[in-house]
Amino acid sequence: MLYLQLLINGIQTGAMYALIAAGFSLIFGMTRVFHAAHGATFTLAGFVFYECYSLLQWGLLPALLAAAIASGLFGVLLNRWVYVVIQRHEGSFFTVFAASFGAAIVVENLVAIVFGKGLVTVSSDWSRSVEMIPGLFVAPMALVAVVVAVVCFAVLHYVFTHTNLGVALRALGENPTLVDVYGLNQKTLAKYAFLIGSVLVVPAAVLTAMTSGISASMGHHIMMISIAATIVGGVGSLRGAAMAGLLFGLAENLCLAFVQPQWSEAVTFVILFLFIVFRPGGFYGRAIVS
Amino acid sequence: MSAATQATNLLEIRGLNKNFGGLQAISDVNLDLKSGIITTLVGPNGAGKTTLFNLITGHLKPTSGTISWLGESLLNMAPWRIARKGIGRTFQDLRLFNHMTVQENIMTVMERGSWLWQRNAIDRDRVEQILQETGLESKRNERAVDLAYAERKFLSMARLMAAQSRLWLLDEPASGLDPRSFERFVSLLKSYAARGVTICIIEHNLDIVIQLSDTVAFLDQGRLLAQGSSQEILKDPHLAAIYFGER
Amino acid sequence: MLAYIQNIIVLFSINAILALTLNFIMGYAGIFSLAHAIFFGVGAYTAAYMALNVTDSLLICMLAAMVVSALLSVVLALPALRVRGEYFVAASLGLQIIGVTIFSEWKSVTGGLGGMIGIPPPVLFGYTFSSTGQFVGLSLAVLLGVLVILALLVRGSFGRSLMAIRDSESAAQAYGKYVNAVKTLSVAVSAGLAALAGGLYAFYMSFVNVEAFTLNMSILLMAMVIIGGTGTLLGPIVGAAIVMALPAALTYLPFIPSSELGTIQQIIYGLAMVILMMFRPGGLVGGRGKEKSA
Repeated sequence: MLYLQLLINGIQTGAMYALIAAGFSLIFGMTRVFHAAHGATFTLAGFVFYECYSLLQWGLLPALLAAAIASGLFGVLLNRWVYVVIQRHEGSFFTVFAASFGAAIVVENLVAIVFGKGLVTVSSDWSRSVEMIPGLFVAPMALVAVVVAVVCFAVLHYVFTHTNLGVALRALGENPTLVDVYGLNQKTLAKYAFLIGSVLVVPAAVLTAMTSGISASMGHHIMMISIAATIVGGVGSLRGAAMAGLLFGLAENLCLAFVQPQWSEAVTFVILFLFIVFRPGGFYGRAIVS
Repeated sequence: MSAATQATNLLEIRGLNKNFGGLQAISDVNLDLKSGIITTLVGPNGAGKTTLFNLITGHLKPTSGTISWLGESLLNMAPWRIARKGIGRTFQDLRLFNHMTVQENIMTVMERGSWLWQRNAIDRDRVEQILQETGLESKRNERAVDLAYAERKFLSMARLMAAQSRLWLLDEPASGLDPRSFERFVSLLKSYAARGVTICIIEHNLDIVIQLSDTVAFLDQGRLLAQGSSQEILKDPHLAAIYFGER
Repeated sequence: MLAYIQNIIVLFSINAILALTLNFIMGYAGIFSLAHAIFFGVGAYTAAYMALNVTDSLLICMLAAMVVSALLSVVLALPALRVRGEYFVAASLGLQIIGVTIFSEWKSVTGGLGGMIGIPPPVLFGYTFSSTGQFVGLSLAVLLGVLVILALLVRGSFGRSLMAIRDSESAAQAYGKYVNAVKTLSVAVSAGLAALAGGLYAFYMSFVNVEAFTLNMSILLMAMVIIGGTGTLLGPIVGAAIVMALPAALTYLPFIPSSELGTIQQIIYGLAMVILMMFRPGGLVGGRGKEKSA
């Protein structure tokens, strides 16, 4: 029974990680920017939702919208005001990464000032676990989480295969110069990449806030998962990143049957390390050996 | 023509194939590059010229076929090891060590075979000689990124000279050079060819091809279609049609 | 007052050594590591363990610290450096996180969350370092030593190889540089010398615990390097000084509650990193050092 419980928890966590990782992978694959502030986007989305829903007592939908606007704006503006400026005159991996990292630190600490450093949960009826069968506790939220993730990916898939924007985004990932053919320019596409990638974290952030809770310093762990999932999934493959996110969620929870909780983060690292050593290309990508 | 037939084969490519998951980039290529001869590779875009270079330098592994240098097979050798065997290349996008000075660019290429400190002192005379031959003496302490375009091109040649490469694979080395720099470039190449260096150039500009080549090899869609003097190749109407896209 | 200044000098030396060694791989080799605090920690724990269980000889403890740290870094670097730089960042972040867990859990060696206490003062040729004043001399000497070693490396052929690889790895390979070996070696040097700072820390505090080796510390070190300026030897030293001076400067501002000092500090250097990268990527010392390659 323990395994089943952990499995369900794992799927729930995994669904969330899949969304977050897909967002990071989208941004990195399309713009080649190592968006280290992606974890901060998650933190921002979660706390904006908390502020609006729990503290300001807005309805669910307005609160969700606020969170989406906040994270989307954050991603797009960070790109527009910081990354683009840097890329104009220098644009090395390090400079962009350092700026991104700096931005993440600023955001996370601002959140800590406003909301404190502790864990914060958004309580709702759906967060409460229900004993479905003796020994198995599932919160309705868990199912919601999985459904939301599936829906998001279905929408993404549709956008990428059937819309002009989506196809252009995929082309941008393959070969930036081809993009002009579609009548869109790289800057606009980058903007959309950041927008979509950042908004993708919202469901995950909201659901995490409603289940295990969020804290100002969670960003680092989220960042770790995003990067690891992008690598394990294969750079350039959204599907891979999502699957890897799911894998990490499952691993993080299932390992609790064997080791103590403080080691669950270590499991992520071990998986990542194994992939780097034996299969750097990840599930789907090409290992780009410079 | 007699010079070409008398020179020794240094690089021998036999039956070379490269397949990228369905795309046949190089198809059954046989090519010899001889000492002291300047060979130009021409062909339409996408013909596989740069791929061929990458196969020789070890950045890509052939699907089948052999490449040997001075009788030794280069297959399965790491790129840095191939470089140390005397094979050098330039890149279309130069890839200079931008934040290092001209002199440092040259010195670092000369420093090999030691990791933490240099076992043998650098040959300062050789550094001077290279600076003079490429016309960069006055720029020795300038960072590579601050140089003028032609100077950057010559620096990329200087690195080859510093590496004491015996085979030079040059990827569009002369593009964009003004006439005077081009003259200097031609005489630089010819002086090294006279010293026995094997040179192979990828070039699109036909005037340059005519001025520089001892022999021309025509590549299309991964196949070596013809090889001969520049007169023969460029006069061939069939090849011209392919080159200019009328098939 | 004197004790206060002496304390600052010792801590500054330790931070400066860490910043210098981190800059060695970040600024000169272009390898970005988020795990530097772990090598600091490995050095500290190793030195402490040796001092508590084997010998209080300064030389042997420091040597052990350097060797263990360097070996660990090689184990991390060898596979991760074969592929792109981003992979190393990810692997180093993972190492940082898992390292903290190991430090906290491996009670028999690291003392777990409680850490190791009562570390005896080190002895060098019969001379015991126990007072703060003595540590001032020792730490400055080690700092000087590290500076000299790094300067020799950077100004010589190894430094040129590193910078060539940083500027264009494919070209470096095309001209005969055995890239993997050079990079791995630079990581080993960086970690080995960082362990010296760890040893100093362990002996000076006579106590080590995991709190000093967390991700926050790695971030702090990164901030020092970035703010001071990469690619120069002076930069990290300046960066260390500035980042250390920040908390002291902040206490003079009346409107900041002391509970928020740490957070405000982080915000300030986070902002500094963003702004510097936008307008002065070379850092305070390096200036507009890095320009886009034509």
